[in-house]
Amino acid sequence: MSEVAIIGVGCVGFRPMTPELSYKELMFEAAVKAYEDAGGINPREDVDIFVACSEDYLEGFSIFDEFVPDQLGAALRHLFTVTGDGMLGLAAAYMLIKTGQFDTVVLEAHSKASDILTYTDIVQFGFDPIFNRPLGGHPYYVAGLEMTRYLYETCTTEEQCAQVVVKNKRNALLNPHAAYGANITLDQVMHSEKLFHPLKKLEISTPADGCIVMVLASEKVAEKLTDKPIWVKGVGWCTETPSLETRDWTRAVYTRLAAEMAYKEAKITNPWRDIDFAEIHDLFAYKELQHMEALKLCDYGEAGKLTEDGLTSLNGEFPVNPSGGLLGMGYGLEASGLQKVLEVVIQLRGEAGARQIDDAEVGLAHTWRGIPTATGVVAVLSKVK
Amino acid sequence: MSLEKINNPLNARHWIGHMETDYRYTLGVAGERFLKEIKENARIMGAKCPKCSVVFVPPRLYCEKCFTKLEEWVDVGKRGEIYTYTITTIDVDGKKLEKPQIYALIKFEGAHGGLIHRIGETEKVYIGMKVEAVFKPPNERKASINDIAYFKPAER
Repeated sequence: MSEVAIIGVGCVGFRPMTPELSYKELMFEAAVKAYEDAGGINPREDVDIFVACSEDYLEGFSIFDEFVPDQLGAALRHLFTVTGDGMLGLAAAYMLIKTGQFDTVVLEAHSKASDILTYTDIVQFGFDPIFNRPLGGHPYYVAGLEMTRYLYETCTTEEQCAQVVVKNKRNALLNPHAAYGANITLDQVMHSEKLFHPLKKLEISTPADGCIVMVLASEKVAEKLTDKPIWVKGVGWCTETPSLETRDWTRAVYTRLAAEMAYKEAKITNPWRDIDFAEIHDLFAYKELQHMEALKLCDYGEAGKLTEDGLTSLNGEFPVNPSGGLLGMGYGLEASGLQKVLEVVIQLRGEAGARQIDDAEVGLAHTWRGIPTATGVVAVLSKVK
Repeated sequence: MSLEKINNPLNARHWIGHMETDYRYTLGVAGERFLKEIKENARIMGAKCPKCSVVFVPPRLYCEKCFTKLEEWVDVGKRGEIYTYTITTIDVDGKKLEKPQIYALIKFEGAHGGLIHRIGETEKVYIGMKVEAVFKPPNERKASINDIAYFKPAER
């Protein structure tokens, strides 16, 4: 079976808004960059399959998948849409190449969040219509519920969660793709309004616009087109029950099982030792800590301490979210998974500039589909085949 | 990529559109029984799995653990315990609420799951707090989760 490599990446954004470009033009620009980065491929001839990732409600279309081919160079070609996070698309692209039937796959995900005028209503529309939705309220109260229980069971402190924001927003200052970099203090985070006690305003990622396109290829094609392939060593995904009432509120089990699937394939036995850094879904600050634990980077309840002690900072022993995470880059909705993968690719190529992690060889990308979902995807990427 | 870009925000145009999406959500066998019991008898019911003996609240027709069909109904009582909570200060549009709203996941003894609901008649809230359901008067109940007005601190 062929190994699978990411051979080209293109990113536009992320920015608080993009009034000068339509979603199609965002996709077009990211695609042009990705094809150029992949050695100058022509999408009309050199690509076997296109995988686009989008969710109708976030686009304002009832059949959005029909609207994606032209701007990727995929009209009258072989294309399908994954209605979920870009990393679920990565899993699909990876499997397509693994079948041996296809050599080159294009993967796309974007966010035109600034076009959505009623984002919270869409999130609320994801709640169970019989048991949860009639209660009303801002849907992020579910994050407040989860954070309360997470802190209670793990003895993680509010300060440790706030430290995630300080770290990520500072990292984002060094990332040209980040919309919300800032030099802020722990005090500022701790004193920002508790919108969903104990969750504070500055601990919540703000949506941003952007698009990411990637080109994946089999060994054969990758080695012909690029001298800097980044190899996908393992992918895993998992979904827990949608029932808010019966799911696990502390341990992000969906991420644990997704990680086990990816680690098994990538032959990772000790994630903290075998992996050099990680990009982890941090829609809310506490989620970075909860997900670190689910990813087996430490024991349950340990992530807060590791963060407080600086081990996950850019120059720490195991950097987490060197990109600035979603707190710093902006929340790219269904593109958030590819935001994670993008940073891992850039770091492993050694192209991260001021935020470059020394000797990075193996990186981890992780995503979650946000409130109210319990779906996670994990990928292990490596510089070495 | 285009060589010339819009760089004057006054020239960046948009079009406003909206989707109307109205649905009727079928309650189904389990949902109907659950809400009918709340409406008619002010009872909170769970469904018991004959194989794992787990009582699910809210009830459903199938077990998420072993995939068995659930047919036995159990009254879990109207008193429960706060498993987790939050206090929200803004509404769905981000506007400040006049009074903060407490939401909680309430678990019932012997049941797996629980109910997410509002907490009323108190400003104090903590994990492990005993609460009980406050039902709306019978003539105001509509077979909705909102037939429970809120949960309040339980009387001893």
